Amino acid sequence: MSDPTTDVKGARPDEQITTDPTDPSQRMRMQTPMMTVAPWVIAILILMFLPLVFTNNSALTIMNQMSITIIFALAYNMLLGQGGMLSFGHAVYAGVGGFACMHIMNMSDFFASFPLVILPLFGGLFGMGLALIVGSFSTRSAGTVFAMISLGVGELIAASSVIVVAFFGGEEGVSGDRTYAQPFFGVEFLQQIEVYYLTAAWVIVSALLMFLWSRTPVGRMANAVRDNPERAEFLGYSARWVRFYSFVASGFFAGIAGGLFAINYEILTEENLNTTSSGVILLVTFLGGVGFFFGPIIGAVVFTLVQTVLSLQTELWAFYAGSLFLATVMFFPGGLAGLIMMHVPVFKLGKAGHLVMPYLKTLIPAAIGILGLAALVEMTFHFRHAATGDNEMTLFWTTFDTHSLLPWLIAGAVTIIGLGIARATAPDLKEAWNEANMAGGGA
Amino acid sequence: MSVPALELNGLKKNFGKAEIIRGIDLSIGKAERHAIIGPNGAGKSTLFNLITARFAPSAGTVKLHGEELSGLQPFEINRKGLSRSFQITNIFSRMTVFENVRCALLWAQGYKYSFWNLVNRSRDLTEGAEAILDQINLLSRRDLPAGTLSYAEQRALEIGITIAGGADVIMLDEPTAGMSHSETDYITDLILKVTEGKTLIMVEHDMGVVFGLADRISVLVYGEIIATGTPEAVRADPKVQEAYLGAALEAEH
Repeated sequence: MSDPTTDVKGARPDEQITTDPTDPSQRMRMQTPMMTVAPWVIAILILMFLPLVFTNNSALTIMNQMSITIIFALAYNMLLGQGGMLSFGHAVYAGVGGFACMHIMNMSDFFASFPLVILPLFGGLFGMGLALIVGSFSTRSAGTVFAMISLGVGELIAASSVIVVAFFGGEEGVSGDRTYAQPFFGVEFLQQIEVYYLTAAWVIVSALLMFLWSRTPVGRMANAVRDNPERAEFLGYSARWVRFYSFVASGFFAGIAGGLFAINYEILTEENLNTTSSGVILLVTFLGGVGFFFGPIIGAVVFTLVQTVLSLQTELWAFYAGSLFLATVMFFPGGLAGLIMMHVPVFKLGKAGHLVMPYLKTLIPAAIGILGLAALVEMTFHFRHAATGDNEMTLFWTTFDTHSLLPWLIAGAVTIIGLGIARATAPDLKEAWNEANMAGGGA
Repeated sequence: MSVPALELNGLKKNFGKAEIIRGIDLSIGKAERHAIIGPNGAGKSTLFNLITARFAPSAGTVKLHGEELSGLQPFEINRKGLSRSFQITNIFSRMTVFENVRCALLWAQGYKYSFWNLVNRSRDLTEGAEAILDQINLLSRRDLPAGTLSYAEQRALEIGITIAGGADVIMLDEPTAGMSHSETDYITDLILKVTEGKTLIMVEHDMGVVFGLADRISVLVYGEIIATGTPEAVRADPKVQEAYLGAALEAEH
């Protein structure tokens, strides 16, 4: 006989889920239409007005890259978060969509009468076409089998990029010119800002469609199959077909991301197909959080910022991105979105204010300690890799000699003191956290 | 005579050389409540898994309303009107209670694999799911993740999911396993209520539940049915007493 206390399948005891349905403040509220529409309106407004704040071209490029990553990560999360399918080769669907768009761009006669704004749709259709073929055999089961097939197919297609030169263009890839398209109401997409609005429009449309997908019968069943494929089968749904439809839809939206990539960069290479790109999108999605629809959006924004802004500051940006990912996996498996949503009960209980001081007491020293640690990493890197005789480096607006002892001592002390204080105050924070999550009572 | 709801003919299952089910013939009529009892390791759960195509039989046939089920996948059998629960709680633990039940309604309400309908928009789905939740007394738990429910509530939800699709043959695998007395009574009443007018086939250890619910009982011992009949007849059967029930009944007292 099973013990009732341990047999609660899938319940995670570390989660603070209060189960007192009589307390209205704890009941998850019904989603009103207003609550569903508001985030989308806000998103549209932000996308419309961002270029007024960040006007230079490099900022626009970063925002475009963000948008593309958002679509791709959301598409990826249709598999990972919603369908429970871990893919190691999803870049190929975006890549093939992108390559197809490049070829359309290069069909000069046809392209001249082709409005550029609908090009990503064709990217989507090609991504979907490939997903139809691969999904027909890869979605038979989830788990390891699916992951291995995705890895194999990803490697296969990436490898064929140097073999099928006619389509993938060999090592130099395929390039084209978006401005040869038929002008769209006089817009020729010569300027970055025009491309920005095109990309932004596609982001909204794609994200909205993917959100609505998750609210359809097949989208709901994707969650059911993720949680328990066997149970889903006994409800009349073939787990395989549910996975297949999710896979095809995911391929479609990945292809749209690929098409937007083609429009933005006007070149696609093997890099768009390889395992590194597939790995990056997994990282982005997981960093943002697979458990919530908006998780990948946060992941895409944060990762793109790390990738673009931080890479201007340091050559070691990938190291920091990797550390961030590792920390997420180890300490916040719910990702950044999970971290945010953890605080919803606290806000509902009206106790968020109780957390401000403990947070400041722990997080500020922690941030200083981490910066100290980063300084040590940077100094080591400079010490080992700078040209001989180049002993000076500039870090945090200070120039110093990495071959003298003092900077090392300072950085080391900052690291130890910062992390030490953070560690010392962590128990208080934990207590405050537990207190803030307690319904009723408390000081 | 009308076609039986479920008919088993010479059903056998071997795992390698081990014969788990050794030729079962059983006919269960419409709207009958049928319990399968037997000692541990008699093959009760295996029999369930054979009927619902979780395992393929080594020999013999299963007929649902006179229609043979061999070669069908579990989801196809479900669509023909047979639904089952599991011995180990088998729910969608990360989804809310409401969504668990709503998913169980989707196919029955004809939504299939559609991606052009929004489930929130369907009043039939929402009301249907809430009616089921009301029946299993989980309306107050509606929006909680199913994994956070108590054990008895999860079992009730499992029964809710099983009946939600409107199947007319319901199979319950040890619905009261691991429950306290009061929980067992609660679930028994629940089963009586929700299987009204339906064919119920259930595996159960608790003799109180079995004699309280079943119209007929089959006793399964070492992969064979040694007796089938009304509770009184089975109770009085000397073979049954020798093999199983005597010991079990004595243990009860």
